[in-house]
Amino acid sequence: MVTPHDAGLAVLELKGIGKEFGAIRALHGVDLRVSPGEVVGLMGDNGAGKSTLVKIIAGNFPPTHGEMRFDGKPVHFARPIDARAVGIEVVYQDLALADNLTAAANVFLGRELKRKLGPFALLDHKAMAARALELFGELRSETRPHDLVKQMSGGQRQAVAIARTRLSNAKLVMMDEPTAAISVRQVEQVLSLIHRLKEQGVAVMLISHRMPDVFAVCDRVVVMRRGEKRADKAIGDTSPEEVTSLITGAKEAA
Amino acid sequence: MMKKELGLFLLLAVISAITGAINPAFLSFVNLLNMANLIGLFGVFALGEGLVIITGGIDLSLGSMFALLGVVFIDLLTTYQVPWPFALLLVLMGGLALGGIQGFLITRLKMQPFIVTLCGLLIYRGAARYYTSDSTRGFGYGDEANTLSNIASGNVAGIPNTFIFLIILAVILGVLLHRSVYGRWLYAVGKNEEAARFSGIRTNLVIATAYVISGGLAGVSTVLFVFYTNSVSPSSFGNFYELYAIAAAVLGGCSLRGGEGSILGIVLGTALLQVLQNLVNILGIPNSLNFAVMGTVILIGVLADQQLQARRRRKAALAGLARTAPKSKENTRLQNASPHGAAALPTTTGDQA
Repeated sequence: MVTPHDAGLAVLELKGIGKEFGAIRALHGVDLRVSPGEVVGLMGDNGAGKSTLVKIIAGNFPPTHGEMRFDGKPVHFARPIDARAVGIEVVYQDLALADNLTAAANVFLGRELKRKLGPFALLDHKAMAARALELFGELRSETRPHDLVKQMSGGQRQAVAIARTRLSNAKLVMMDEPTAAISVRQVEQVLSLIHRLKEQGVAVMLISHRMPDVFAVCDRVVVMRRGEKRADKAIGDTSPEEVTSLITGAKEAA
Repeated sequence: MMKKELGLFLLLAVISAITGAINPAFLSFVNLLNMANLIGLFGVFALGEGLVIITGGIDLSLGSMFALLGVVFIDLLTTYQVPWPFALLLVLMGGLALGGIQGFLITRLKMQPFIVTLCGLLIYRGAARYYTSDSTRGFGYGDEANTLSNIASGNVAGIPNTFIFLIILAVILGVLLHRSVYGRWLYAVGKNEEAARFSGIRTNLVIATAYVISGGLAGVSTVLFVFYTNSVSPSSFGNFYELYAIAAAVLGGCSLRGGEGSILGIVLGTALLQVLQNLVNILGIPNSLNFAVMGTVILIGVLADQQLQARRRRKAALAGLARTAPKSKENTRLQNASPHGAAALPTTTGDQA
């Protein structure tokens, strides 16, 4: 079977990525390819290097070693803005939403649509609400643009956060523990949101501790341990038991 | 959002009507104009304080800023005979600069707003008293700034200019806060600074700007107050005025946790405070009870607002429950448990299964 992983252009390609903080080696020799429309689960214990890897890809800090290619071109990110500019978006664990604003306002936060009124640029509420409604529609979420985020369920909040990434037409969306803080029923909604992204050709990296979610939605699972990549397998070729033993170190590599 | 302002307006109307019924002098033209003047004076800097509070900060230094900028302003006009447009400009720049320094300390050096502006309160007051050797400064018999004096304390068709200034500034800041991108960012920063930063907003700049605006409005207020009192005694000029501003903002719906409030609310809050002060005089309540009346009304007002909000949230949650079958049971429970807990809402509803 040819997985998308083997075929075609990779959207993200990492070669020998390493990161040292002073004498501490947080990451060592990580190679990784992610293809368009592929969902990759990134798993590992706390301190295994997942967050460091995500932060490097998101441009929070540069790697000490190695090279990063996005869409076939070598990239160097000095700041998170640089990563967003090429099409990498991160949905953070705490969701990074402003509770006191509406869903539409959050989708457009930092990228507000404006209409000119003489020398002044005022917010274009109508256009933002309309576009937000479209995005929620694409995600098949019932979220309403004018609702305040503080009145929303965890699943709806995720929809808002994911709609944000659609706004910029991101090619790679990294999700940090999107299912950690919500109820079982809402987890399904979030997983279906990930499917929507996949349908639209967006590559997704899912960082999660929840084995069932990873096996439900991912094409491939990558296991990190002690700053190194220990496994990179199609989901069909592995099992939760194997992944668990890779995470804990009962099994060194696969 | 507008419900709060409407409630405040009704409260203002009811209090005014009752006071007017007891003593018609309250609604006399002279008294209304006098109140309008005071509302203008106290409203201008309350607007700035409101912006700062919406960022989740606080500005305690305003009253002392009035004293320092006030003595400098009078000195420029009388001792140094600086033409009034330059003196005015220097005072406004002074206000902006002090606000800028506070904003810098808070955003760049990561100091807490309360501490920075508390130290500002102490430092500016001390500087003003040292500069004047604790003596009162006032205008002589010359006409150093007649034109400016007429602008600052005059009236148009009977309406005090201070009140007109307040309306103009309120409209400008209203557009800035409620219709512009900056205003949207101010709310976002106030509620969740991290989220705003992740969204690519330069949060430090947004917050610092609020302090600069507050400082600039303090400069404007200084000039208005100087021509209202015609003299500045550095140890008492503007004492506690920052607390009036904070009270007005809170009464007007600003949350000290940040991210909430409106310009209209702040103006109405200021008006309510001034009406209360006036009512104490008019109804013959001992003047010494002035602060006690104000404190009681603020306490009751904020309490009532919280209770009403909690009820609305419960209703909304119930409606949501009816709309989408079994979900968000936890949400409802949480909301019931914490009437003021908007800050502590759903992200924590989870099971970690």
